Amino acid sequence: MEKIKDMLPLTEAFYYILVSLYAAPSHGYGIMQDIEKMSGGRVKIGAGTLYTALNALLNKGLIDPYPVPDDQDARRKMYVITSDGKEVIAAEMGRLEELLQAGKLALISGKE
Amino acid sequence: MEQQTVKRYRMNMSWNYEKEEAWLNEMSEQGFQFQKAGLLNSTFVHDDSSRYTYRLDYQTGNPKDVEFQNYIDLYQDAGWEYVSSYGSMWHYFRRVWQPGEQPKLYTDKDSLVAQYKKIQRLMGIMLLINLGILLANTANWIRLINYQWGFFVPVVAIYMILLGLLGYGYVKMGNKINQLMK
Repeated sequence: MEKIKDMLPLTEAFYYILVSLYAAPSHGYGIMQDIEKMSGGRVKIGAGTLYTALNALLNKGLIDPYPVPDDQDARRKMYVITSDGKEVIAAEMGRLEELLQAGKLALISGKE
Repeated sequence: MEQQTVKRYRMNMSWNYEKEEAWLNEMSEQGFQFQKAGLLNSTFVHDDSSRYTYRLDYQTGNPKDVEFQNYIDLYQDAGWEYVSSYGSMWHYFRRVWQPGEQPKLYTDKDSLVAQYKKIQRLMGIMLLINLGILLANTANWIRLINYQWGFFVPVVAIYMILLGLLGYGYVKMGNKINQLMK
């Protein structure tokens, strides 16, 4: 695997896809709906962006194909996050937290 | 009801595929619904009662593969109806036109840049392959110059046009990528 540090920062699409799959395995359509919900309607991922992102994440080993359970539509291919994928998300969240903290600190000290 | 089909002749260039989309959308507004693409012409069905937004997508893959079905299904789930393909590279999708809506397949800059780079890479590969064929046959060409002008001139001319178009397309795609990265 590429070094985790080299994969950051993630684009919003990559980040949200991984976060969505962190919660539970899902199919493309489910991910799309999930992201729209998580972002309060702000991020609507286009079909092309999602399809190419899923293939890129598969190639990087951050997600894997997931066997479709019997009670689900067999037509829809499902995906699951890998342990590498979880590591990348943790690293990205740490990076975002640092940015947020630094910004907040600057705002507070700027008020004085 | 008999469906009336019409053909329109137009040379569509890969580096201008957004222009082709715009053209298909204008045709749709006038009641001509795109059905099938050819090298020099496109087929439309006359239908005044519908209007669509068309989008083109470049993906390599054999339409007979399972993966292709997965691709079509995902777009379908996202609200895109698959219309047809050209050369198992360019795939045409549409959705019912909505006033004020400009639906896109690639919704962020990174994925659009990646898409442009993919198209550019294909042009580059085709350019090198054709250049290779041309050079590999140099000995033959030289032999032909002496006594078969009628064959030599048109074949080399066709190659030159092809290489020129591919080179031009490669540069054009590069410009589009740079424009986006600014």
